[in-house]
Amino acid sequence: MSRKNLIGLLPIAAVLLIPLLTQNPYLLHMFILSLMWIVLGQSWNLLGGYTGQISYGHAAFFGVGAYTAGIMVKSGLSASTAWWGLLLGGLMAALVAAAIGWICFRLRGSYFSLSVLALSEVLRIVAVNWNRLTNGAEGILLIPAFNTKTYYYYIAFGLAAVNLGVIRWVMHTKPGYYFLAIREDQDCAESLGIDTTKFKLLSLLISAFFTGAAGAFYMNYMGFIDPGIVFSLPDISIMVILVTMLGGAATKWGPAVGAVIFILVSEIFRVWVGSGHLLFFGVLIIAIIIYFPNGIVGTLADRRARRRRARGAEAVA
Amino acid sequence: MTKPRPMQLVTLALLVGGMSASLLLAQGKTFKVGVPLPLTGAEAKFGEMEKQAYEMAVNEINAKGGVKGTNLVLDIQDSGGKPETATAIVEKFITIDKDPIVVGEYSSQCSYAVAGVAEKYKVPYLVVTGAADKITQQGWKYVYRLNPPSTLYNQGLYGLWGTVGKPKSIALLYENTDFGTSTSRAMKEYCEANGIKVVLDEGYQAGGVDFKPILQKVKSLRPDVIYMVSYLMDASLLMRQSKELDINPQAFIGGAAGFTLPEFLQNAADASEDALSGTLWTPQVKYPGAKAFFDNFKAKYSKDPDYHGAEAYAAAYVLADTLKRAKTWTPEDLRAALAATNMMTAFGPVKFISWGKFTNQNRMETLVLQVQNKKFETVYPPDAASAKAIYPVPHWRDRK
Amino acid sequence: MSPQVAGQLELLGQVLISGVLLGGLYALIGLGMSLIMGVMKIINLAHGELMMVAMYITFWAFTLAKIDPYASLLIVFPLMFLLGVGVQKFLLSPVMEADTVLPQGQVLLTVGLGLVLSNLALLLFTANYRSVPVSYASKTIYWDLKLGGQTISLSFSYPFLIAFCIAGVLGASLFIFLAKTDTGRMIRATAQDKRAAALMGINTKRITYITFGIGAALVGAAGALLDPVYYLYPQIGGQFTSKAFVITILGGLGDIPGAVLGGLVLGLAESLGSVYISLGYKDAFGFIIFVLVLIFMPRGLLGRGRA
Repeated sequence: MSRKNLIGLLPIAAVLLIPLLTQNPYLLHMFILSLMWIVLGQSWNLLGGYTGQISYGHAAFFGVGAYTAGIMVKSGLSASTAWWGLLLGGLMAALVAAAIGWICFRLRGSYFSLSVLALSEVLRIVAVNWNRLTNGAEGILLIPAFNTKTYYYYIAFGLAAVNLGVIRWVMHTKPGYYFLAIREDQDCAESLGIDTTKFKLLSLLISAFFTGAAGAFYMNYMGFIDPGIVFSLPDISIMVILVTMLGGAATKWGPAVGAVIFILVSEIFRVWVGSGHLLFFGVLIIAIIIYFPNGIVGTLADRRARRRRARGAEAVA
Repeated sequence: MTKPRPMQLVTLALLVGGMSASLLLAQGKTFKVGVPLPLTGAEAKFGEMEKQAYEMAVNEINAKGGVKGTNLVLDIQDSGGKPETATAIVEKFITIDKDPIVVGEYSSQCSYAVAGVAEKYKVPYLVVTGAADKITQQGWKYVYRLNPPSTLYNQGLYGLWGTVGKPKSIALLYENTDFGTSTSRAMKEYCEANGIKVVLDEGYQAGGVDFKPILQKVKSLRPDVIYMVSYLMDASLLMRQSKELDINPQAFIGGAAGFTLPEFLQNAADASEDALSGTLWTPQVKYPGAKAFFDNFKAKYSKDPDYHGAEAYAAAYVLADTLKRAKTWTPEDLRAALAATNMMTAFGPVKFISWGKFTNQNRMETLVLQVQNKKFETVYPPDAASAKAIYPVPHWRDRK
Repeated sequence: MSPQVAGQLELLGQVLISGVLLGGLYALIGLGMSLIMGVMKIINLAHGELMMVAMYITFWAFTLAKIDPYASLLIVFPLMFLLGVGVQKFLLSPVMEADTVLPQGQVLLTVGLGLVLSNLALLLFTANYRSVPVSYASKTIYWDLKLGGQTISLSFSYPFLIAFCIAGVLGASLFIFLAKTDTGRMIRATAQDKRAAALMGINTKRITYITFGIGAALVGAAGALLDPVYYLYPQIGGQFTSKAFVITILGGLGDIPGAVLGGLVLGLAESLGSVYISLGYKDAFGFIIFVLVLIFMPRGLLGRGRA
């Protein structure tokens, strides 16, 4: 393995070892949420950053995954310890995504974004009203299966690792290049013979699957969901875009950086700043967008590239 | 890009400032109690009222020497009304601050989430406002609830109907939240068990602008009573628009919350007149300290407290009483002391008992208030009543 | 006619009235967003918060200086215009210039702006619910129809009627402004093709400032009109932003009469749907129509929007 790869693995190893260093539930809780948001960010990024389809309604998939897991346990079909709850949550989300994609992919740009938003809101309203299935506004409560957070930490880590691996692998295969082509110019790609609808759908299915799995994880870990939480437009759909873009869309580590910052910063603000914390968060968002237009990772990468080019030009001159 | 970064510097400076400020906590013997509350978000108004009530109570307690010479210190943190934030806050209280007891939260979902966490860590938790029945129906040993559960919210109403006569039909309109659906369901079950016909049973999304379509539908069904459950200001719009549509049932009855807010009187103006509501507390109750609490709160904060404020105020006193009686201030001893609570507060009597599926639940009478002459008057039960109920209510066009 | 039928007719009549009057207000909320989206393709997620700001201005004008909300339109309109220009000039334009992988930066900036505005209001004005209890807040005009031996009583809310008329006036004014004035024509040109407009010598940057300003002023006017019939607290904005989207799409981007029609359609869909289908799903009807129009009529109901 090259040295660069080894250094790249160091942070992953460090993350793996965290539960062995601290058993503090509060800190572990922060890490677990960060890992979950890494999955959300990376999954959204596959569809948005790499394929150029900006979804404003990813809460739809998160919510479907969460409710699948919740309903399974509530109806006695499975215990909350069942790992295949995550799988089923992801599959249901992918199914819903196929329907949403079939409806919305004939639309472009903002129209696509807003139509996904609209359908996500419809799902939320359905979850509130369909009492028999979802318990309506009262939500679903489960007793979490594991008493210590360590198990959940490793489940979240595993999900994030698989998610990262799959996305990395896809982006190095032909479909991955097609995604990029679609992002750059969909009509051009279509004229080159790429079935853009099929590949947009593929990107969406993978993205939705992992988002749904994350939702199922949330249900099992937090023990309580209701429509306002898991189908939330501002707290899930908009936040996942924020997390990815603040970190840097279409970069390898951007969504992960964004997720960690989002979790840590909002918590730090909440604890230290008190009642003005959301105000600071809003100012921070504005500041990052103005000074880091391509997200933190993206803009830093841009600057490094520019410096390298400048140096290269100097060397030649 | 060599733009100066004023915003970043300001943010950093404020962060550092905030950190230093919080580190300058009172030195000396103090007992810190952590209280999660929604200080931002849709429920911020109630969070703020409870925060002020807690602070007022704690100041009074400390002015009298605190508990065994120790001053109480509140650590009120903003959950934004989100259960996952509330659980994070409480996990921090329990595992990092090592608090031996937790108090607070407002909504049913957040209280429920916090209760689960407290039970898991075997730390006593005093529920103050969350009303959903299920919070004290889990058989948990560490969760104690001061306020009555939502099924009891309407007890006062049932009693009032005993004196003025039960309606023959009722329309149920409630907001699609945990509180709205569970409180209205309790009413529905009572009605079905007592021969009152439910002509309409519809939930709505809170925050609507125009309720006239559904109100007109209610009007066309001619129910004897219109029963509404609303947290926020939907209560006010429902009354105003009912007046505009000239709907004249025997009574308009609210299920507490929005119908007991002072802002309800302000916003609905004369449309609020004669509206009844179940409630947990009014300043006219005969419990010691109730009126004093109301007057002092109003003097200090320039606004009227409602039953949420009274709950928070009483909770602080229950906490102080528990600390006084506990052998030591460890979670187990505090739990035992809390369980043995038997005291009177400005909110009412507090004693945790079990009945039916409920455990560790305080059981109190609930009351009925009515807006008369632009003021809230208690109309039931008779020993707390400050005025007689006007029932049935006069037609809109016959009013002044 | 039997009383039951009369009751049903009264219900239908009242529902239609509600839908139309509410639709007028909705239309005003959507007009601003339609203009902004049509010209700059910006999704303004702070639209509801801008309305909230205007509502607070109206509230304080009424509480401190007893200025009637309809009169304070004269204050609100220019103040909100300036706010809109400021936002576009200092926050959005710099971000739109940057070369980014995805053009979503501006949208997220509006998210941040929305957070800042609502939490600033929370800090400054607290979470208390505010009211503007004007004397005519619940004033109603009754119309008793005699049909087939029965009386059908329909009620029109006075403040809603006024809001409907003012919304109509503003909509018409905007339409004339865009069609007949130089600035209006420049705005339309920029909306059609920004580069060509710039080549024609139009200062497109300045046009974007003015457009955002007008959009903010319009939603601000809607807020002032909403104050008497609603209530106010810092978090009020979110649901109105969603409605604004629906109306914008229904009308077609940048199409003023379309946006007005969109508002009416949304108002009627909510009214009719809440009574005849289900109250709980009221908000879903707008979204469903929204998606259907997006798919089958991408240029809006009147077919004149920008695709």
